[in-house]
Amino acid sequence: MALLETRNLSKSFGGLQAIDSVSLKIEPNTVHGLIGPNGSGKSTFFNLLTGVYQPDPGSHIEFNNVNITNKPAHFIAEQGLARTFQLLRLYGELSVLDNVLVGFHPHTNYSPLAPFFNGAEVRRQDKIVKDEMFELLEFIGLADHAEIPAAELSGGQRRLLALGRAIAMRPKMLLLDEPGAGLSPVNVDNLMATIMTLKERYNLTIVVVEHILKVVMSTCDTISVLDHGQKISEGTPEFVKNDPAVIEAYLGREMADEDIRAAMDA
Amino acid sequence: MIFLTTVASFFEGLGKRHRLLPWLLAYVALLPLPFILTALFSEYLIDLANRACLFILLAVGLNIVKGFCGQVTVGHIGLYAIGAVTSGVLALEPGGFGGALGFGLPVWVAIPIAVLVTAFAGLIVGLPSVRLEGAYLALATLGLGESVRIFIAVTPALGSSTGLMMIPSPSIGSFVFDDFTSYYYLVMTAAVIGIYFSFAILKSATGRAFQAIREDTIAASVNGINVVKYKLLAFVLSAIYAGLAGALFAHMPPGYLHHNNFTIIEMVTLLLMVVLGGIGNVWGGVLGAIVVTIAYDQTKDLVIYFMDRPIIIQPIVFGLSMVFLVLFMPRGIGGWLEGFQRNRRFVRRSEEKLDGAARNS
Repeated sequence: MALLETRNLSKSFGGLQAIDSVSLKIEPNTVHGLIGPNGSGKSTFFNLLTGVYQPDPGSHIEFNNVNITNKPAHFIAEQGLARTFQLLRLYGELSVLDNVLVGFHPHTNYSPLAPFFNGAEVRRQDKIVKDEMFELLEFIGLADHAEIPAAELSGGQRRLLALGRAIAMRPKMLLLDEPGAGLSPVNVDNLMATIMTLKERYNLTIVVVEHILKVVMSTCDTISVLDHGQKISEGTPEFVKNDPAVIEAYLGREMADEDIRAAMDA
Repeated sequence: MIFLTTVASFFEGLGKRHRLLPWLLAYVALLPLPFILTALFSEYLIDLANRACLFILLAVGLNIVKGFCGQVTVGHIGLYAIGAVTSGVLALEPGGFGGALGFGLPVWVAIPIAVLVTAFAGLIVGLPSVRLEGAYLALATLGLGESVRIFIAVTPALGSSTGLMMIPSPSIGSFVFDDFTSYYYLVMTAAVIGIYFSFAILKSATGRAFQAIREDTIAASVNGINVVKYKLLAFVLSAIYAGLAGALFAHMPPGYLHHNNFTIIEMVTLLLMVVLGGIGNVWGGVLGAIVVTIAYDQTKDLVIYFMDRPIIIQPIVFGLSMVFLVLFMPRGIGGWLEGFQRNRRFVRRSEEKLDGAARNS
């Protein structure tokens, strides 16, 4: 039983068909890679899944047996679908701890007006949640910076915090939009190791968009390839690596075989 | 600086014993203020303190929607007007002066109803925020706020150009809050409670949701925050503050309301308080309200003569202050206070680390 399924998912912006009837199944507890050249629609695909964009009529998205097509973003988040952004979108002026606390928001157990009528309950629950979030920060290595505004973190720490904020939502599935962008090779390896540990610890299904093919090839169970909004290939890393359609999409027709291998392995 | 550190440490220490202790102490410390003001200056200053308390309520409320939630609203003074006129009309005796409406309700009934009506009006002022942002939202709310004032100005039942007169004072038993000093205890209590609840909101999941919307609306919605619901909630909460401030203003001696109290100048004054205080900072807003209320009063009669003609320069002074504030002190007093607090925390953490290292060696 697939955890996430899209059927005929389409999105056009004016005359541009950004996503063209993509049907995709993602199995629970797997790492699913999503690759494709720039502008192939990967980020748009994420935006459609998480309700940031509304898909075109005729599309269907199902998550955990719930129809989430055309549902608002907060509803989809409540179902257990979390994501990170390519440009992170952290809450810069909020402290690191507050950033992950906002992530926990869907599980808040008191009404928005409770601070007026039931302050004791708010303080009791917040204390428990803060301890839990502090533990999460310790796990990703940001506990020492808990009180600092997120904007003052370094680039690598910000990427970790973005990850922590998504994990704080206790999701079933985590969509990672280029988690390694802008990191040095060593840092990328560390980050991927952290992500895999988090996956085991929180029992996550992960979908990852990444341009660093080495990362995708080594961590993903299944890979889907998008080009011009269409799914052109899908399968194990080994299969996708050798699929002529993928090679053409990435490198053009005339590229020699050895060059392709070299590029893929780099 | 050293003084501030001492005061902050003292209150923090109290807060550790019991959460409400610093608030109680601050409240008790404010009790003798009217007598001090009368002894040192004049009784008129108590009236000024009362106005400052009302503006604190307004500024703290505006801070919820503008500071916490980041929604630019310029219609807040219209909500204040709705609270004031509703409470005034409800409490006035029927058949009042100049065709003004009157329902003759007890003051303690009129005030809560006025607050509820204002909360509902706040919801309406907030509706454009679902679609609009920034300057466009400011324009829409400005239109709503100003139309409230104009509606009051042309409706005889609501006072029109003569205003509402002889609005009754609140009373408990035979004790009537009809002079500056007794009314001070009413508005001061309301202001302290208002500040307390503003912090209660800020420190809860509700406040964090507001701030997340301010920082990044898309990220907030993806984090499971119902953006529309929380934006409207911020407007309603701030309207409750404005409604309470308005209702208390209506019954304040001498019990007189005029639509001139709700002009765009008042709105700019209110914005100046929040900006001077530092957008988003509660204590900054409180300080801003006090400083600007006093400055407003002191510059009220400031006139210079140009070619033998008098020019009232208060609007110029206030407009220029606003420009200079935004240019050179965009984070206001509050930004300065926050930097100060952060440095203190940093110093304390470093000291703790040093202590730990010393013990371990």
